[in-house]
Amino acid sequence: MMTLVAKGLSVSARLAGQTVTVLRDLDFAIEPGKILGLVGESGAGKSMIGRVLARSLPSGFVVSGGSLAFSAADGKVRDLVAMDGADLARLLGDRIAFIPQEPLTALNPLLTVRAQFDEHLARLGVPAGDRIARMIDALTQVRLSAPQSLVERYPFQLSGGMCQRVLIAMAFASNPALVVADEPTTALDVSTQATIVQIMRGLQRDHATAMLFITHDLRLAARVCDEIAVLYAGEVVERGPARIISQDPQHPYTRALQAANPPLRGPLTRLVTLPDQMPGLSALASLQGCRFAPRCPTRDASCETASPELRLVAPGHWVCCAPACSGSRPAVPPITRRSAEASGSEPILVVDTVAKHYPGKRDWMGRRGQGVDAVKAASLSVRPGEFVGIVGESGSGKSTLAKLIMGLEAPTAGRILIDGHDVTAPSSATRSIRLGTLQMVFQDPQSALNPRRPVERLVTQTMEAARSGASDAERLARATALLAETGLPPELINRYPAQLSGGQKQRVNIARALCVTPRLLVADEIVSGLDVSVQAQILNLLLDLRTERGIGLVFISHDLAVVRYLCTRMLVMHQGVVVEEGETDAIFARPQHPYTRALLAAAPPDELDSPWPPAPVQETLDATA
Amino acid sequence: MRLSPRAKAAWRRCLTNPRVVTGGVIIGLMAVVAVLAPWLAPHDPQEQDLLATLLPPMWLAGGEARFPFGTDTLGRCIASRLMYGARIALYVAVVAATGAMILGTLLAIVAAYFGGWVDWLISRAIEVWMAFPPVVLALILLVGMGAGVNKVILAIIVIDWTRFCRVIRSEALVVMVRDYIAAAKLAGFSHRQIMLKEMLPAVLPLVITMMSIEMGIAVIVEAIMSFVGLSVEPDVPAWGVMIADARQTMHQAPWGVVLPVGAIFLAVLAFNLLGDGLRRALDTRLVLGRAEAA
Repeated sequence: MMTLVAKGLSVSARLAGQTVTVLRDLDFAIEPGKILGLVGESGAGKSMIGRVLARSLPSGFVVSGGSLAFSAADGKVRDLVAMDGADLARLLGDRIAFIPQEPLTALNPLLTVRAQFDEHLARLGVPAGDRIARMIDALTQVRLSAPQSLVERYPFQLSGGMCQRVLIAMAFASNPALVVADEPTTALDVSTQATIVQIMRGLQRDHATAMLFITHDLRLAARVCDEIAVLYAGEVVERGPARIISQDPQHPYTRALQAANPPLRGPLTRLVTLPDQMPGLSALASLQGCRFAPRCPTRDASCETASPELRLVAPGHWVCCAPACSGSRPAVPPITRRSAEASGSEPILVVDTVAKHYPGKRDWMGRRGQGVDAVKAASLSVRPGEFVGIVGESGSGKSTLAKLIMGLEAPTAGRILIDGHDVTAPSSATRSIRLGTLQMVFQDPQSALNPRRPVERLVTQTMEAARSGASDAERLARATALLAETGLPPELINRYPAQLSGGQKQRVNIARALCVTPRLLVADEIVSGLDVSVQAQILNLLLDLRTERGIGLVFISHDLAVVRYLCTRMLVMHQGVVVEEGETDAIFARPQHPYTRALLAAAPPDELDSPWPPAPVQETLDATA
Repeated sequence: MRLSPRAKAAWRRCLTNPRVVTGGVIIGLMAVVAVLAPWLAPHDPQEQDLLATLLPPMWLAGGEARFPFGTDTLGRCIASRLMYGARIALYVAVVAATGAMILGTLLAIVAAYFGGWVDWLISRAIEVWMAFPPVVLALILLVGMGAGVNKVILAIIVIDWTRFCRVIRSEALVVMVRDYIAAAKLAGFSHRQIMLKEMLPAVLPLVITMMSIEMGIAVIVEAIMSFVGLSVEPDVPAWGVMIADARQTMHQAPWGVVLPVGAIFLAVLAFNLLGDGLRRALDTRLVLGRAEAA
């Protein structure tokens, strides 16, 4: 008996007068005690399925066909699409539970954990006397220590990981038949992610719950799920056992996803990227034939007219691709990482034991509250053409360090030197030294690009500031050159940020930093908001910039695989302190500091045979969290 | 001029908003009447016809077609006086609101940009300023400076800049934490360039909205001041002056009061409708909220 069976599920939306099929003919099934992973990049429609279940589709979106047969322990089969709204409401939260993406926003900040959990249990019909015991029991199951005192706390007093554990405990409190987890670990740090996944899997196995695990991360899904369905532009392009989908995918898109992920171990090859990006809702309407065809490396003429059907290629393994498709893998280009290093030359940037202390706010008596030491003691040096990675989890002080380097904040101790000039204190003189040497690429292009400037005036912003006053013709010429260099089509020159895709915005962001031909870029988490395939494009662009311009890079990231792909040297930061520094390969091979070891162990490895997350490491992480 | 798609969309939202259209049309008509008053008015506003005093409007019994809205105690044409009065009202509305806007927005952006003691000083000044009852403050200022329509404008600017400053400062603080301000600093922009090229455009929709509401307020303040004789010279036709003149005879000739009050009401309603409509059309939070729901 399957817990959830989707048959021909379709969702359509009315968009500017025409009907767009957002989800097309989805078929999947989940058995009790199994986890089905829905994997796809943003815009694939993976979150739409959770919304269909909860009947919270955005207005204008309707289920245009198909059924969702749900059967709970009582053996009755109900169609979640057709059934009465009130009946469905009784199922939701009880037989069907949800684990949200943002644990902090999912809990009411004005109520204690106890009040919220109590309300949930009351709804489930647990008698008032039993509720606190049930609560403590549930919180113990998610391995929260001292649950008696924890229930009296407010959500904002807990970390993101703790909030997510509370929500998992609440989801499993009713012993549901189905749990829908929508990106449950995306907002969390790597080490927390490992714990959460372990807890979720444990509870799901113990209760024999069926689970729908929605994620963008194929590597994580391979670890967590029994079966995986890969979504592209609202269609299941490939479905099968997790092991096969992650190790030997057949669909060209799944292969591209796999190839776009930089590996954590083994030899490095240049990432293979797909052109462009997934079509948006408005583009779907005019798309004929296979929705993946425009980006497919192995397409032929027939792909652009005929839509393929899911077909069985092996027991339990379906692929939605033309039968004629040979599926030949593109030849992997040779290793291009770590080109010639300008070793021995003088460093461009030297950061000498800088610290940043943020004083606490004064109270009404004028007394200072306790401040925060964002960076305690950090040193680094970067030579021309060198890529240095800074790795750390949220709160490790890595973004503050970037601001100190850029002179956006003044350090409270230590020195910063550029080409031997002291630029520690921000002033107009140090600003002009920085301007020609150092530029920053910001994390969130949404916030870093003024929405009121067209691309041309964004990328040449520095020329507007220069006293010399460049002419409009000069600016246009420079902007054209910068677009070409960052791989942007020239017709974007008059567009505004709102008209660009995420990857294009990040390229504009990089182009702006390159305008003054800096010798060193500081990049703060510039790929963390991007889809894997777009991330790979940006990473390759950075590598090309080094080859062509000999540019240096300080690359701040939480993602170890990305740092390994790009950087020759890396620093590991933990609570404002650089705990380890060295050659990337050496650190990956022989991590010295326990925190580095924990961090490396927490990232899901590529080989499915190595156990993850390893139990002993777990304890160290709990201690540091 | 090339408009960004964002500006185009905002413009389209404004033009399809019924409040903006209604308010805009009323104000537009008033402006036309005010500008063309010397040609449209049937009489000189000061011309007295002592044989035809306190005439009712032409559609009432005893009314004459020469005086469409009737006459006052001195036999002056109410219609002509209303038309000329619109000139004073709109002049004060535009100049005073612009002045208060410039002063308030400037200080707001400076406070948000520099922060620290500059922000502290400006914020405290606003708080102290707003603690005074505005009408009392205006009366004191006018008694101190002497009467006159330009003094009224000055009083409105001096009092109402705080209204702009407080609201726009909080909007500017939101803009300040955006990375594009930091990016402009790194691009070597001067303080003035960042404030004018990066921050001002971001707060402009709010500034426009507040301007419209402020114009309505200025119309009321001018009417009050001319009613008590602190604004225009007594021989200049203004709506407040007309109410003051007609109040002794308001039992015999209520239209003398009702018509200028109606004019004030219509002007303020139009400015408020326009302001409210602009807020709905331009406020990014409201607009985004609707787009997400759609």
